Amino acid sequence: MNSFLLFAIANLTLVLFLSPLYISVIKKVKAIPQGRHGPSVVQTYRNIFKLLKKESLYSRNSSFITRVAPYVDFTGSLLLSLFVPLIFIPNNSNTFGNIILFSYILMLTKFFIALSGLDAGSTFGGMGSSREMSVSAIIEPTIIMVFAAVAFSFNSVNFFEIIKSSLLSQNHVFLWLLFIPFVIILITESSRIPVDNPETHLELTMIHEAMVLEQSGKNLALIEWSSAIKQLVWIGIIVNIFIPIGVSTTMQMMALSIAVIMFFIKSLLFVIGIGIIESSTAKLRFFRLSNLFAMSYFLSFITILIEVLL
Amino acid sequence: MTYSQIIFQSSMLLFAVSIVIPLIFINAKKSLTRKLSLFTLIFACTGLLLFSFNVLVHETVNFHILLSGFTVNFSIDNLASFFIILISLIGLSVAVYSISYSEHFENEIKRNLLVSLTAFFILSMVFVVASHNLIAFLFFWELMSISSFMLVMFDYDKPETKKAGIFYFVMTQMSTIFLLFAFTLIYNHTNSLDYTQLQGLSAPLSSLIFLSLTAGFAIKAGLIPFHKWLPYAHPASPSSISALMSGVMIKVAIYGFLRFLFLLPEQQLWWGILILITGTVSALLGVIYALKEHDIKRLLAYHSIENIGIILLGVGLYMLFSFYRVRDLAMISIFAALFHTLNHALFKSLLFLNSGSVVHRMNTKNIEEMGGLIKKMPHTALLFLIGAISISALPPFNGFVSELMIFQVFLKFNVLSSPIIKIILILSLSLFALTSTLAAVCFVKAFGIIFLASPRSKEAEYAKEVDSPMIIGPAILAIFCIALGIFSYQIFQVIGQKIGINFSLPNLLIVSMTAVFLGSLTYVIMKIVGNNESRVTETWGCGINSQNERMEYTASGFSQPVTTIFSSIYKPKLVNKKLFYDPDGVFFKEGEAKISLIKFFEEYLYMPVFRVISKVSSILYSLQNKIELYPYILISFFAIIALLLYLGVTIR
Repeated sequence: MNSFLLFAIANLTLVLFLSPLYISVIKKVKAIPQGRHGPSVVQTYRNIFKLLKKESLYSRNSSFITRVAPYVDFTGSLLLSLFVPLIFIPNNSNTFGNIILFSYILMLTKFFIALSGLDAGSTFGGMGSSREMSVSAIIEPTIIMVFAAVAFSFNSVNFFEIIKSSLLSQNHVFLWLLFIPFVIILITESSRIPVDNPETHLELTMIHEAMVLEQSGKNLALIEWSSAIKQLVWIGIIVNIFIPIGVSTTMQMMALSIAVIMFFIKSLLFVIGIGIIESSTAKLRFFRLSNLFAMSYFLSFITILIEVLL
Repeated sequence: MTYSQIIFQSSMLLFAVSIVIPLIFINAKKSLTRKLSLFTLIFACTGLLLFSFNVLVHETVNFHILLSGFTVNFSIDNLASFFIILISLIGLSVAVYSISYSEHFENEIKRNLLVSLTAFFILSMVFVVASHNLIAFLFFWELMSISSFMLVMFDYDKPETKKAGIFYFVMTQMSTIFLLFAFTLIYNHTNSLDYTQLQGLSAPLSSLIFLSLTAGFAIKAGLIPFHKWLPYAHPASPSSISALMSGVMIKVAIYGFLRFLFLLPEQQLWWGILILITGTVSALLGVIYALKEHDIKRLLAYHSIENIGIILLGVGLYMLFSFYRVRDLAMISIFAALFHTLNHALFKSLLFLNSGSVVHRMNTKNIEEMGGLIKKMPHTALLFLIGAISISALPPFNGFVSELMIFQVFLKFNVLSSPIIKIILILSLSLFALTSTLAAVCFVKAFGIIFLASPRSKEAEYAKEVDSPMIIGPAILAIFCIALGIFSYQIFQVIGQKIGINFSLPNLLIVSMTAVFLGSLTYVIMKIVGNNESRVTETWGCGINSQNERMEYTASGFSQPVTTIFSSIYKPKLVNKKLFYDPDGVFFKEGEAKISLIKFFEEYLYMPVFRVISKVSSILYSLQNKIELYPYILISFFAIIALLLYLGVTIR
């Protein structure tokens, strides 16, 4: 079997079926310190299924952008999942795994979702688009700097090679400086506290939710699913760069099943960590966010200096 | 005479015909003569396109024209033919667009004049690129400047056009002065007007020539801090001309810069750093200024400044890497710069032509008064969207590929050893990343406010789609935007084999095919699994059922977060004046509140220079403007004494 085909099937299956779980896990972790039971861990699956069965409403003002955007977003997220080895590293490919292409496909999905926010002519949608695009613009230098630091450390611009060489060598101590910037990027990209609050419906605090307010039915299901997928892909990047243990480079059944179990444990622990961070912080004021990003930018800058100058 | 020379000269002839026809029939009311002229222009551009593509693949073409004892040399090599492709491609689409666009002006003289001048402008740019001689270059450069000046002044009866025209003219002449100075230095050294490698030039002299050339070409290219003419000239001129000026003319400046850069010896490290830093600053400030613009053409003009910055960023990287003799990275950088030059020409002309269609239907350039045009002008909207995706550097379109190449060069700079250079490159990299995403923010704003939601004015509500030439013209460019992006890997594979460089680009064809596959799979599954019922209703308005256009998000509102974040660059000034009836300030009488953004370059660079010049000229003026004769006699007397003294000293 072609190694890339195996990789593609494994990644697509994994992100499609595992990603909603982690949305629920975070909710569950957040419920515990608040003294609640929290929703069941399968609640997100139920939500998506429920939305799929509902009719779609379109605003009178909306154009084909609203109808196309959920598919662009979902397809983009699936495409992104082909860029990051989660359990298996296929043979090198110059096309998939390119870190710059990764971050710009991500931008393409945001571009369309932001346009769909403006499409209905609702104030909420416009506000959400404006905030989402502003946040993603000012986080972008950090993303590129973090990717650059990783690229210099592993001497590659491809996620496949980066994770492969991370698996083989263990002496990248300075790389741990990047852990905080990476977590801040994950939080920003998956619209979580302290950057955004996915649960509120108060217009003062919401970014992503405001933008997709006009979406409904299966379109909303696709958008929610795709945010879950993007979150899992970022988690995959972080855990596999920092703790690459278990990622398989061969196509043996044994190695692959160990890889699946290891990935599940690693990412679950990481997600619980995210839940703990969320329950212990408050949402930041919107214009304070640039401070948070400046901090992560600074850390990645230092990492690059250490990597390229020392 | 070879086959390609015949094509070139017959294209020139066609150009001449298309310039002359509208001038002969300047009072022609029927559109027939204009159509004839524009079709000739289309043929001329197609001929040039074939010719220069042939040159690019095969050989250099040389020929000369004798003009009363004075030889004008033309030589079209690879670099020149690349730029001729660019000029003729944009010229072609502008010619198609003008078939319908030129008919919208108020009288027949203007219509005929526009067609003739457009052809003349395109021809002068072709000659600038084709000429292979300092005098010829300067001559055609001036022709290009003057014809574009006349086109900027096309709506000469409007006061803002006059201001823009004069400003543009002064800037463009300053550019020529710098070039003339550099050319004089070159001629002094070589005693030849041809482009020859300047051997044995001392380092300071070479640097002086470099600086003077940079200033001259940077003014024309609109690089910060010489950018101010762009946001004035573009809104004033007709849209087809904005497309030519922004898409092509500023690229001719890039051509000139590269042409003379390759000739200069003793290249210094700081040259590359200078170009890299001005490129980065231009790119970032260009997009930041664009974000606050709500005049569609001015917004696009600022994006030209941004993209010229990106092109020079690539050139700067090329200069740095070739200084350190890292050949493959240097080659990738210069190819990235050239590819971005082509890409910017394509998508910027596309956007300017479409914005021309929108402005034509709306009678305003203010995007706050637009909205909902996607339903009224669907084709224009789709073409604008393609341009917006390209300029925001989003895959799989062409703008992304050239920026990707620059990113990949950046991510390999650890082959260099100097720590200072590395730090400059890291900073430049992160600012470059910021630039390209801010462009995406700006175009979500532009597209969203112009085309989406519901109409914000009467004009927008009753807007109609434009005529087919105004769609076909930009559509040619849109096809190239898509094709050059999706087939970039294959194109650079061919180029790479020729020059022996591995560009290591991702194969966007495979990515797009995978995306189409996954997308259609999703669509089919959703059709089967999901609920296919849908309903069209009101936009949710918190329970209020009278949603209107005043409740929509505005362009100023959209860019407000970014404006606040970058307030240190915009330096907004708040003016809040209040007048009261009573001294204690209780009964409010009237007040004034406004926010104005500081015009940094105007206040701190242009105005001081202007003040000095006006002071000097007022002194000279006071010497001259006398009714009596004796001050003149006195001045002549002193001049003659000074001359005699000078001659006496030097002869002895």
